Amino acid sequence: MQERTQSVWQRMLGIDRRWLYLVLFVNIVTFLVAPIRMPASISPPVQKFYDEIEKLQPGDLVMISSNWSASTLAENQPQLEAVIAHLMRKQARFTIISIEAQSRDISYRLAERVTKDKGYQYGEQWAHFGFVPNLIVAIKGMVNDLPNTIKQDVRGTAVNQLPVVRGVKSLSDYKMIIDVTPSGTLPIWISYSPKNVPILYCPTSVMAAEAYTYLDSGQIKGMITGAKGAQEYEQLLGVVGLGTRFMNAISFSHVLIILFILLGNFAMLMNRLQLRREG
Amino acid sequence: MGVLNHLIAQQSVWQLPEGSRVLFATLIVLGAFVLFLGLIPVLQTLPPRGRRAIVVIITFLAGLFFAAEFFLPINWTAIFPKDDPTRNFLTPAIQPAQNVLQIIGALALGLGTFGLVRLHLRNVVQKRAQWGYSIVLLVSFITMATFSILNTLAEKEIVERGPVLERGFSILFDYTLVQLDAAMFSLIAFYIFSAAYRAFRIRSIEASILMFTAMLVMIGVVPLGAYLSYTLLGLPEGAAPEGANFLTQVQHNIGLPKIANWVLTQLNAPAQRAIEFGVGIGGLAMAIRLWLSLERGVT
Amino acid sequence: MSYQHAQDNWFAAIVIGFIALAVLLNILRARMGAQLYIRRIPGLDAIDEAIGRSTELGRPVTMIPGLTAFGVVAVQALTIFKYITKQIARFATPMRLLSADATVFAVAQEAIADAYNEAGRPDLYDADNIRFLSDRQFAFASGVAGLIQRERVAASFMFGEFYAESLIFAETGNMVGAIQIAGTVSFTQVPFFVAACDYTIIGDEFYATSAYLSREPVLLGSLVGQDIAKLLFALTAVGGVIASTIAGTDAPIIKLLGQPGGWEAFWSSLGGGGGQ
Repeated sequence: MQERTQSVWQRMLGIDRRWLYLVLFVNIVTFLVAPIRMPASISPPVQKFYDEIEKLQPGDLVMISSNWSASTLAENQPQLEAVIAHLMRKQARFTIISIEAQSRDISYRLAERVTKDKGYQYGEQWAHFGFVPNLIVAIKGMVNDLPNTIKQDVRGTAVNQLPVVRGVKSLSDYKMIIDVTPSGTLPIWISYSPKNVPILYCPTSVMAAEAYTYLDSGQIKGMITGAKGAQEYEQLLGVVGLGTRFMNAISFSHVLIILFILLGNFAMLMNRLQLRREG
Repeated sequence: MGVLNHLIAQQSVWQLPEGSRVLFATLIVLGAFVLFLGLIPVLQTLPPRGRRAIVVIITFLAGLFFAAEFFLPINWTAIFPKDDPTRNFLTPAIQPAQNVLQIIGALALGLGTFGLVRLHLRNVVQKRAQWGYSIVLLVSFITMATFSILNTLAEKEIVERGPVLERGFSILFDYTLVQLDAAMFSLIAFYIFSAAYRAFRIRSIEASILMFTAMLVMIGVVPLGAYLSYTLLGLPEGAAPEGANFLTQVQHNIGLPKIANWVLTQLNAPAQRAIEFGVGIGGLAMAIRLWLSLERGVT
Repeated sequence: MSYQHAQDNWFAAIVIGFIALAVLLNILRARMGAQLYIRRIPGLDAIDEAIGRSTELGRPVTMIPGLTAFGVVAVQALTIFKYITKQIARFATPMRLLSADATVFAVAQEAIADAYNEAGRPDLYDADNIRFLSDRQFAFASGVAGLIQRERVAASFMFGEFYAESLIFAETGNMVGAIQIAGTVSFTQVPFFVAACDYTIIGDEFYATSAYLSREPVLLGSLVGQDIAKLLFALTAVGGVIASTIAGTDAPIIKLLGQPGGWEAFWSSLGGGGGQ
């Protein structure tokens, strides 16, 4: 029996996915190293985020909730670096809190590195509160009595001995909460944090879609969406950071995906035409 | 109520001197343990209906506790002047209740880990199909657990942090676990590519609209969209000036980033919100059914 | 001030009370014999087809509750898995339930054992088929993907709360040609499931699943109550749009409705104090 040979269109439709992966890999590597810089158009949520931090006065206290670990480093690290850079520019004080051990280690090391360059003193202008296993309980506790909920910082110093939070009794004494996260922590912050403290949000790109509702209702005051948002933020700050470096690869990966979607559709149409012609 | 409130608020047992506190805590834990062990045979002797009644009562009381804490009025200072005005008499018990939940979770984690190790030990002993993978799992498990425990002990200065521990933990955590995590997440990019290639096909009007909208957003949200719209096509960036004519307003609003933002905020957000309402209401209804033991699914 | 008690925002408390009332009254109505209608959900009708295919091929069925922590979502997911297990027990089709949460795992063991008992095949229950893999997201994802590949599963049911690992499961299942049905309340993951699965159950359809599968009056009544509550939300939204269009967003009545806080804030707004 003679085996029917596949047409080029059929072969395109049933292409081994490993070829697709190879093309994407080459594309990402190429544009990660390619020295092309394309300015971003600043999206409204990022602009709002920036404007909100611009309102801070020197010495204002900000709580950063950093809950990302190695897996989403490519999206959350550029965000956190850009945000801390802006806070330091505004001479704001900040404290960081995490919900698991790996996020604590990563955010602590990152903050230590970026603050050292700018002469920010640990304990005086910033501190890390370590990690809390249950965010709801921690927020409720911090609203009522922050020093007794956190007790000690990541270095083992009692919170009421830290100059950065001297006189702070509750989360209500903070001027802002910034949630840098790949997971669903935002609704918890919205539900339980004090209503007088505005919330800013730095999600991964995939989580951003569900946050537009909160942005619209004013429950969050601004949003940096993944590495793409970080690039816009870096542009607003006038620095070249990880977001800007990653963006080419992301841009051209989007183009590649669109090209292949079009190619797949073209192959499907041609295949249909051919089958119709063959009856 | 005032006495109870005072007792809970002061948490007097936990403010005792160190020695008495340990003694009290040990007695409480032992008491709970004995009570629990005693309850098991009692429950076993009960007929299924009786057992179910106990489960229903405990579920109801636990649910009632959290519901009452939320709904009961706060600020009882008119009756109990020394009370904290931001809470009611049940509020101080929330933290211990959450702790109990965490302890149950930790015990379940032990159970889960035991089950996993038992399964793979059996695979190896009985030389079931693909038992080599089980050896990899067991060796990785033991190695990682050993170094993690030693590292925690070193952090508490119970054991000395030698170069083997330092280097070993760093290799396992920083150079293995962290990297594997990142690698697994990055796999998603490749899977999105193949899924999009396969799924985005113009099979109907709806599918076509979906595909073209997705393309507009994908290009609109990255700098390439801005480059194409504002540099290559020369469209005006930013909002249209007050009183601009229709054509100028159109030009100001057809840049790809503008379209992408419009899709995200005007189409995506309302749809998400509607789904969110449905999910929230569904979750609440489910919680009520569970609380009142009307849901017979897993019970 | 934060919303930690009903008194912090009585409006929310009243809405919660209304939903609860709507649900309970309709459960009562259904118990008293009212005939209630539920529309077709194709994804749930396909469960039997997927089980049939697994049985024909003699390859396992996987059930994955995602990263769901123990709570209402997990209970709903386990209810669905219990139903599926009862169906597969009739044909002695092999199954694997893979969990990332230890508490869900412990309850799942009981639920699946019950399902085999209720189906009259307690002999088919094997505790090793219900597995806790890891509570780390991507360790769990790689464990599931590995199992799907090695055992070439024929049907994959994913119900629960999912995050970034959703596409890893769905695309791996697609690679081995499994029929895949997913249902999730995590709407950011819906696009991935739609792209890679045969059927996807979206949003509150997930909570309708047990009512759909069992047709129990209590569950059907609850569903009607939920729909009434949704109608209230929709009417509030439409009413709000009309009122703010006519009266303007700065009108006192509009500001009053958007007023957070307890009754004190409510009364002070009425008295022209502007509240908080």
